[in-house]
Order: sequence, then C-alpha cells, then structure tokens
Amino acid sequence: MSRPVRRVAAVLLSAGVAAAVLVASGSAARSSSAQIKAGGTLNVGWESSFGFTDNLDPTGEYLGDAFGILDNLLVRTLVGYNHTAGAAGNQLVPDIATALPKPTNGGKTYTFHIKPGIKFSPPVNRAVTSHDFVTAMERLANPKDGGQYAFYYKVIKGWDAYAAGKAKSISGISTPNDSTIVFNLTQPTGDFLYRMSMPATGPQPAEVTKCFEGQPGKYAQDLISTAGYMIEGIDKVDISSCSAIKPADGYDGQTHLFLVRNPNYDPKTDGTRKNYVDQVRFTVDASDVDIYNKIEAGQLDLATSSIPPSVLQKYATTPSLKRYFHQNSGDRTWYLTMNITQPPFDDIHVRKAMNWIIDKAALRQTWGGPTVGQIANHIVPDTLFNFKLQSYKPYKTPGDHGDLAKAKAAMKGSKYDTKGDGTCSAPQCKNVLMISDTRGVDPGMVATIQQDAKKIGITFKVRQINGAYPTIQTVAKNIPFAERPGWGKDYADPVTFFEPLFDGRTIIPTGNTNYSLVGITQSQCRQLHVTGDCSPYNPKTGLGVPSVNSMLDKCEPLVNTEANDARTVCYENLDKYLMTNVVPWVPWMWSYVTRITSSNVTHYQFDQFSTTPAYSMISVKS
Amino acid sequence: MLLYIARRLAWTVVVVLAVVFVTFFVFFKLPNGNPALRFCGKSPTPECIQLTTARLHLDKPFYIEFGYFVKNFFLGDENGWPGLGYSYGNYVSVRSEIIERAPRTLWLIAGAATIWLTGGVAIGVLSAVKRRRLPDRLAMGFALFGISAPVFWLGLMALFIVWKELHLTGGSGYVPLSDGVGHWLSHLILPWCVLALLYMAIYARLTRNNLLETLGEDYIRTARAKGLPERTVIFKHGLRASLTPIVTIFGLDIALLVGGAIITESVFNLQGLGWLAFNGAETQDLPTVLGVVLCTATAVAIMNLVVDIVYAFLDPRVRYA
Repeated sequence: MSRPVRRVAAVLLSAGVAAAVLVASGSAARSSSAQIKAGGTLNVGWESSFGFTDNLDPTGEYLGDAFGILDNLLVRTLVGYNHTAGAAGNQLVPDIATALPKPTNGGKTYTFHIKPGIKFSPPVNRAVTSHDFVTAMERLANPKDGGQYAFYYKVIKGWDAYAAGKAKSISGISTPNDSTIVFNLTQPTGDFLYRMSMPATGPQPAEVTKCFEGQPGKYAQDLISTAGYMIEGIDKVDISSCSAIKPADGYDGQTHLFLVRNPNYDPKTDGTRKNYVDQVRFTVDASDVDIYNKIEAGQLDLATSSIPPSVLQKYATTPSLKRYFHQNSGDRTWYLTMNITQPPFDDIHVRKAMNWIIDKAALRQTWGGPTVGQIANHIVPDTLFNFKLQSYKPYKTPGDHGDLAKAKAAMKGSKYDTKGDGTCSAPQCKNVLMISDTRGVDPGMVATIQQDAKKIGITFKVRQINGAYPTIQTVAKNIPFAERPGWGKDYADPVTFFEPLFDGRTIIPTGNTNYSLVGITQSQCRQLHVTGDCSPYNPKTGLGVPSVNSMLDKCEPLVNTEANDARTVCYENLDKYLMTNVVPWVPWMWSYVTRITSSNVTHYQFDQFSTTPAYSMISVKS
Repeated sequence: MLLYIARRLAWTVVVVLAVVFVTFFVFFKLPNGNPALRFCGKSPTPECIQLTTARLHLDKPFYIEFGYFVKNFFLGDENGWPGLGYSYGNYVSVRSEIIERAPRTLWLIAGAATIWLTGGVAIGVLSAVKRRRLPDRLAMGFALFGISAPVFWLGLMALFIVWKELHLTGGSGYVPLSDGVGHWLSHLILPWCVLALLYMAIYARLTRNNLLETLGEDYIRTARAKGLPERTVIFKHGLRASLTPIVTIFGLDIALLVGGAIITESVFNLQGLGWLAFNGAETQDLPTVLGVVLCTATAVAIMNLVVDIVYAFLDPRVRYA
C-alpha cells in the first residue's frame, strides 16, 4: 500500500474509532435488553497479580482497583458516593452517617451521627458503634499498622501525638455516645468530608484488629465487612482468641478473592448500593489474552486488565460488540515532567516551548489512539472541575500535533537560545538525560518526544529503567526529564493533585512525587543534594524556582457551598497559574478507563470515585 | 557408589548456598530503588519508608540478611521447615506458596517430559531406521517446526483452536487432581503437548544422530552378522549406547523447567513456580525469588546426581568410587 493511501486509511480508522468512542463514552450505565435481576455470580479476571499495596487491608491499601472492591463490596464509611459515573459519581452522600454534617466552630468541627441497623458481618455479628471508627482511625494513625495516606488526617487534633506514641488516644476524636462521633481539627479543612470517604476510615472491630497490631496487611484475610458482601469462609473463622484466628478460605492474598453475601447487611440502611449478584469472584490470571478469551466464552464477566490492542479495536468498532465496550473518564493525567532545577528546564521559556512542540496526538497514538483517552490541556482532568475549564487550552495546536512556530516564539528570550533563532542551542540543550520505563508504549513515546524536541534544538540521552518510578522519585538523582508519570485523584477534590505534586514543603529524599521540584528552597536543595539552580524565581529572566505554596494554603480551607464554589474556583486559578507561570509539565492525556464485559452482564455501571467497575451495581444473568 | 552419592549430596548443599548467596548479593546491589517504596503508597512519607524498610529487614547489610536466611532455612521458622520467610507483597509464607504451586509445575514437567521423551526417542529411532526415506523426511520436518515455533504462539494457537473453537479440552488454569482425573487431565493435556513439542523435536534429532552414529559401529555389524533380530540390534545394542547424551540433557531440562517454564505457565494460566518467580522478580519480592531459586538450584543439583547414577546402569564401563 502506498504511503498516502496508508495515511488516509489511518485517518479513516482513527475517525471511525473516535466516533465509536463518542458513542461509547460518557455513559453512566449500560443495560442490555434483559431485565436487571438479582442473583448469579460476577466473575472478574485480574491480570498477573492483585498488586495490592497492603494486601487489601483497608488501613493501608492504596491501590485504586482495590478501592473499587473495598468501597463497593466490603467497607462502608461515614460518607460515600453513589457508585455511578461522571460528576454525579464524585458527589459525596451519606453512607453510615445519617447526613453530611456542616462544619461548625469556624470550620474545625464535624459531628457525625450513625444510622441504626449497621452491623459487622459474621463472626463479629454486632452493631457498629462510634468506637469502631475510633479503632479504624487509631490503626491509621499508628505508623506500625501500615497506613499509607495517614497524612490526610494530620489535621485532626492530637493525631501527631498519638502517631508518635505520646498519647493513648487521638484527642481530636470524641464519642459522646455509641451513635455519635465528633472530629475536631487544627484548622478549617475544606475537603475533610472527602477524606472521611476513604476506606481506611471505615469502622473496624477492635476485638479482631487488635490481633494484627504491628502487622500491616495481615488483617485483610480476616477483614470484617460492613457492606453487602463478606469474604467467603469468614463466618467460620474462630475469633475467640488471637491465636485461634486463621485466614478465611475465600482470600489467599495471591490468586483469588471470593465474596459472598453478608447476612448482617440491611439494604434499608444503604441508599447507594444495589448488590444485585449473590457472589463476586476475583481470580488472578497470568495472561491478558486468556482473560479476554474467557470473557468471550462467558467464563469471566469482567476484567481488571490491560486490553490487547486487537481486542480493543474489535470491541470499539464492531457494532454487535459495542454494547460490551464501556469507557469512562479515569480522572487521571499523564504527563511529561521537567525538573525546574536542571538545565535546560530551569528556564521557563524552554518549558513553554516544550508544551508547544510536543505532538500529543502522536503520544496518545502510541497508547492506542482516541479510544484510550482525551488530550490533556492542563493539570487536573476537567471532570474534577465540573468541566468549567473545558475551554482552557493554553498550548492548543492544530490537531494537537505541536506548533514549531509557537515553540520557537516561546523559546526566544531564553538564555539557552544563544543564536537568537528560537532554538535551544546552548551546550546544555544536548544529551539531556531522559528517564523512560520499559512498558510496551515507552519506546514509541520516547521516539516521538525525541523527534519533537530536536526541532527546537533539544536532544535527549535516554535511559530505560524497568519500574522507573523509584528513580524519578529520588531527588538526589537530579533527573531533568521523564516521560513515565501519571497521576490519578484519591478523591474528587483537586487538592489530591496539587498538594502532593506541587507543594514544595512535601518534597522528600525518596518517594518524592513533586518530580518538578516546584517550590523547593535553596536550603532543601542543599539537604537533598540537588545540583541545579534553586534560587527563587525571577519573572524577568524566567529562571529560578517558582512556588505555589501560598496559593495552596489559600485554597485549602475553602469550602464549596450551595451559594458559591469558592474552593473549586480557587483551584481552577491555581491550575491556570501553574500552566502559564510555572509550567512544570507537558500534560498530554486524560486517560479513559475501558472495560469489556461478557454477554452475561445485564447491567454495567462505573464507579467514578474509585474509577473501577461499580461491582455493587452490576447485574448478571442468573 | 553410596560414598559417591553422599559426597555429591554434600556438594549439592554447598552449590545451593552459593547460588542463594549470589541472589542476595544481586538483589541488594541492584540500583533499582528501595522495595519499601512499593509498600508505602503513591505519596510515601519518610516515616513509612523507614518503618517498612525496617520491617522488611532491608536496613541491614546483605550478608547479615543472608545469615538470617541460612539460619531460618536449616532451623525452620514459625511456618515450619525449611524457613523461607514471608512474601513482601502479601505476607503469605513463601514455604506455603511454594508447596501450593510446586505440584502445578511438577505435573506440567512430568506430563510434558513423558511425552517428549517417549515421542522424541520414538521419532528419532524411526527416523534413523528409515533414513532418507519418507518417514525420515517427515520426522525431521516436524522437528524443524517444533524447534522453530515459539512456545507462546503454539500455546495461544492451541488454546484458540482446541479449546475455544473445537471445545475438545478444558481451558486455561490449573485444576487439582482431587477435582477428578478427567477434569485435571483436560486442563493439562494442552500445556503438556505445547511444552513437549519443542523438546520432542530436539530429542528426535539427537536420538536420530546418535543412533545413526552407533549403528555404524563395528559391534553392530558383528551383531547383525551373528544373526540377531534387527529389533534386538537396534534397541538392545544400538539405542542403549545412544541414550547417554539423551539422559544428560534430559536431567538438565527437567531441572531447569522447575523454575523456568514461565511462558507455558503464563499462557495456560497455571501459575506455577516459574510464574511465581517472575512476579517476585518484577515486584522485588526477595523472599519469593529466593524460594524459587532454592528449588531450582536444588533440582538441578539432584537431577545431575540422578543422571550420573543412571549412567552407571546404562554404561557398564562407568563405576564411581
């Protein structure tokens, strides 16, 4: 086939796929003509290994896919979500609490009342009380119990003292009676209710969890549920003493997780979950191809797995299969990160030029094209701003293929444009270290980035590392550029993007997530062995390190009310500021979450909070 | 002979410990970052990293960790003997994981080995006896195909055609023998055949070449001249002498498959020891990797010993002091 014909064919194919995407995307729920019925078993395939960060122990578990299991099937929290897609799925609703409390005491006190009729599953078999929430919070605060997002709750009075072992309880949490719990904070915190929707805050029975103190992850195999399902075999576990407790049969931590109905669950207390199926069975499968063969054969109904491109194309473009193809916003941004202390990216002109030159459409094509996501135009996905920044595209180029003229115009004025021709011509622009991973998509991405950057005079020396995150998270390695990162929300508040990614005060030696080092100070640079220029930002030259710490502090205490959405507007302005005055990244894609279901599934729904299938809302043929 | 076996067993222990030591060294010295980061979430705090590093004993030098490992291995730990510690990923004891998965790999190897040994030798003998005739051409063509076709492709094609389209076998995944022989067999027959194909091709060629060489020896001509039946000449005199190299590679192949049948295990979702090792390596799960390395190293050493003993029976000239 000649090259022009190939090009036309590629364009037509992409257009066809994009049309299929437009039809498929944005749907909150997809039902077949079969009536939704209760009963049956939902069989879910899981590729390669569960990959849980804490074995599914709610206290420490931080994997997004695990949130879908915990939040839908096992753990109720004081406040939760409607387990649906889109903006409605990111709205907080009461779960165990009778209502969403309004903060009092200048925004520093939250009082929750617990609904009657909420019980733990067997073998605990008793009502949930306010003390069970205290147990959960204390486990979260105790560093030895493996809590991985305990930092969200440092705003609770007495948290740090308890965590340091200096107090026997968290003074800011009080339980006036069995059905009331009060949180007193050190400062107004506009997203506190979101923080209380996280699975680690769900009630836990002390009579069981005390047996796992100091052993992160071990509680998971004896997790006591408060939601519609429980681990198979948990009712047979002997909890009379710690030595008697054995792991429930239904979860071995490695190959399977089988859930059955929780007999103590009262659906009248739960307005957010339908729990259609009788059982949910998660099984690990070594091969993604095998998983999709089984979905086609009806042996599996759904999968948490990468989708082979051939399967993706088949389901996206075959009319009879489109109803099994589900696509929703993943609330995740993929981006190229530039270290603003390392040349040539220590100059804002260069960072802006990179935003103009990168062919984002080509990057997305390496992942599979329009079926896998939308082109990203700023930091936070539009879904988290209720699409109010949808038209904000500060570096928009024709077809998102990059614009050389604009890139060169942006480069002019840079100290690295030694020839004055709009290219990065200084020696520091050559052989810049780029860290790349070894996924299937990375070679294609690297090739695109190298080709684009070369047009403005930047050449890269690429180092491929399997599992690149630990390398780019180590500040002392002074990595100038990386193509690997992506970031998804923890909950539907933009603070979960901005604080870990751009707050200079959270920069740590290893495990650092502010890869660009926005807001880093000279003293931090000395301590962390940063070799580049850490002087404060000079807007006249475009050199130095900008900071957004004060803007973050301004947005954090704000609360959205019915009258105004001051908090969202504040973060929108921060996003714009970052894209025009800091420019730490080249954001290039907001990825979709794509799932394929079998013909057994009669009703599919997506959970926007966890960005996973809403297991509690899916029905199958029974 | 007994003294020889005892000496070899003692050397086996030394070899296995050396292999484990090298694994420790490589793991600790590889510049791949701290595995503790994996268990501290996407926004790890310094406190979490420190605590997790201590909990996983990554804060001690590798030779101290090696010392603890050797001690637990010989004396056992809370999970019994040998003590292999806990997986970093899910806190399950490595010993129980290996006991759970070893049967899958061992059944895979046993079935495939039976097929490739009997099939490969039979085809090799037929090919040698019918040299340059149609059976020989067909056999060597089959051998070429078997050696050339990648295992993963063969496996996927086999699943697609035999299971998905023709419904002749059970699909992927391991079914224990306790669930019924028929069910167990239907899930293993395809992986057996796929894994055996490559080796069968190699063994067929090897048997053919060795047998042709042996059949050209003077003593074979003498045996024929004495009027022995051709079957006796080929099987009793010819094949027996040709089997020595076959036995050598058979022992090694079996041993290496203990931790190395990763592709077959992945394609057919058997999740045996090879898959366990691969996952462990990907997630920097040292205890799991060590457990499988130990199994594989021990299997190689013991199979080498078995091969040497079998030599003594095959070849009367071989005697061990």
